[in-house]
Amino acid sequence: MLAISILSCSSDDNEEVITGSGSITVEFDNAYLDSDLLLNTSSYNASGTEKIKISKVKYIVSNIKLEDEDGHVYVVPKNESYFIVDESNEDSQMIELSDVPAANYTKITYGLGVDQAKYLEGADGQGDFLTKAQEAGMMWSWQAGYKFFVFEGLYTSDDTTTETAFAYHMGSHGTALDNYKEISMTLANTARVRTDMTPIVHIVADLSNTLMGDTEFKLDDAPQIHVDAVKSPQIATNVSGMFMVHHVHN
Amino acid sequence: MIKYIPNQANLMVMKKTILIIAFICSLWSCSDDDNEAYIPGPMALEVEQPSNFPEIKYALEANTPTDAGFELGKKLFYEGNLSSSGIISCGFCHEQASAFTHHGHTISHGENGLEGFRNTQPIQNLAFFDEFTWDGAAIHLDLQPIIPITAEVEMNETIPSVLEKLENLPEYPQLFEKAFGTTEINSERMLKALSQFMVMMVSANSKYDKVMRQEEGEPFTSLEQTGLTLFKSKCASCHATDLFSDQSYRNNGIPYNPKHIEEKGRQRVSGYESDFYKFRVPSLRNIEMTFPYMHDGRFGTLEAVLNFYSDGMVENGGEVDEQLKKADGSLGIHLNTNEKEAIIAFLKTLTDNEFLNDKRFAEF
Repeated sequence: MLAISILSCSSDDNEEVITGSGSITVEFDNAYLDSDLLLNTSSYNASGTEKIKISKVKYIVSNIKLEDEDGHVYVVPKNESYFIVDESNEDSQMIELSDVPAANYTKITYGLGVDQAKYLEGADGQGDFLTKAQEAGMMWSWQAGYKFFVFEGLYTSDDTTTETAFAYHMGSHGTALDNYKEISMTLANTARVRTDMTPIVHIVADLSNTLMGDTEFKLDDAPQIHVDAVKSPQIATNVSGMFMVHHVHN
Repeated sequence: MIKYIPNQANLMVMKKTILIIAFICSLWSCSDDDNEAYIPGPMALEVEQPSNFPEIKYALEANTPTDAGFELGKKLFYEGNLSSSGIISCGFCHEQASAFTHHGHTISHGENGLEGFRNTQPIQNLAFFDEFTWDGAAIHLDLQPIIPITAEVEMNETIPSVLEKLENLPEYPQLFEKAFGTTEINSERMLKALSQFMVMMVSANSKYDKVMRQEEGEPFTSLEQTGLTLFKSKCASCHATDLFSDQSYRNNGIPYNPKHIEEKGRQRVSGYESDFYKFRVPSLRNIEMTFPYMHDGRFGTLEAVLNFYSDGMVENGGEVDEQLKKADGSLGIHLNTNEKEAIIAFLKTLTDNEFLNDKRFAEF
């Protein structure tokens, strides 16, 4: 009788009891407009008559949060929540998070870059992130700061007929200007984390947004942008708008 | 035998330390029973908070200095292997006798004979500051050493390569273990050790300090006293507090230096054109010993500095600070020869020989 009532109970609610924890992978898939992004070999259309070949795409993803269908938010421990996505390193494009509470996740939030709070912690708790950032060329040598976003390559245009180098580097400007951006997206379908299920959240990053996002940049006007009080925040906004959740594999 | 002097500004640290000490003591009694050799754990050190200073800004609770951490930090500070050639240590440009500046150098030379475009700044009282270098390019003391280590014109190294070198030097794994509990060498630990060394470097025992704190010692001469009065009315709005810096960035009307066209001052960090040729107001402690002066070391003497403020200020392409304009709008500070002499006599009372000769910070 008891067994029947329990059985009937759970069958009435038609719900599984979700317990324990599992893993989830967040995949960053770099693209350019409708195409997969390929370094060096492919030529892409940019603003006006400009054509670009991209040699480097790197960015820092941080402070990942997942929200489930009941509104519970799981925050990845801060000291373990800084990653460098590098187009030339496939492993870096699959961010694996473990010890994630089993749940049905419907929303993901993360930062592009390094937040000021992290800077103000100094060396405490950073482990070897700084070493990784330097290995990846994501630190400036003249200021003690991270490059949040690196986008480099060669371009030509009607006005610039020989291939010319371009480089956009974006980060915060000491305490003067905070270019860290938070990105929040609803998942296309629910990511079901279970002790035995590791979903993959497949995020596509369309790098064409760098030059052709909210603000349009012409490489002929400024092929090198590193620290600029007006343009750096515009690049930060363009880049933070390049992400979209394509789908979730369960 | 484990001594810890409580520090009012630091009750949190103290509580934690007491816990740690209690833990260490319990370990000790344990090993005592077993009749094993005792390996002492690191002992907390107190960062001096002089009564005439503003409060410490460095977050000591995140990185409490210990004897072993300090010793490791000191060894790293004088370690040539932090540079690509293995020769240029931090101490190469930061010499104690010159209040940890590069004696007599306008601009310091680094690896491969390359020169930067800035004068070496002193290392003292850094625990009381929260932004570093001439333009504020580091916003935490722990992160500051990254700049000289990685700059091509300074030590021309990378953090991963430095860590690898340290791992292969026989003495370091053990020193890291003493300071941090295991032999692991990583950037967090290396930077924490360097900070532990640097935050202990407090210079607060000059003649000026002793007079201000009414301690035993020589009183001011009448010239020094006159200089102090003049300093307060003409200089102290920027060189404020007993750190002698309000920690702001200002354009002081120094003539543009065509030798270093890459120099933009604070603009390099902030990106704002309005920050062109703004530099951080430097502390004046031990100023007698830290010549030459200004961001590019162009002035060899204090007389030259004061002559500049009275007669040498110009428009330099940036926005010259309002504080340095006279009532009629012209640039400069009214100073006659006698006044300059008195101010310099006063500035020399900021020399702290105890600090300049403190064996704790010395290379040998």
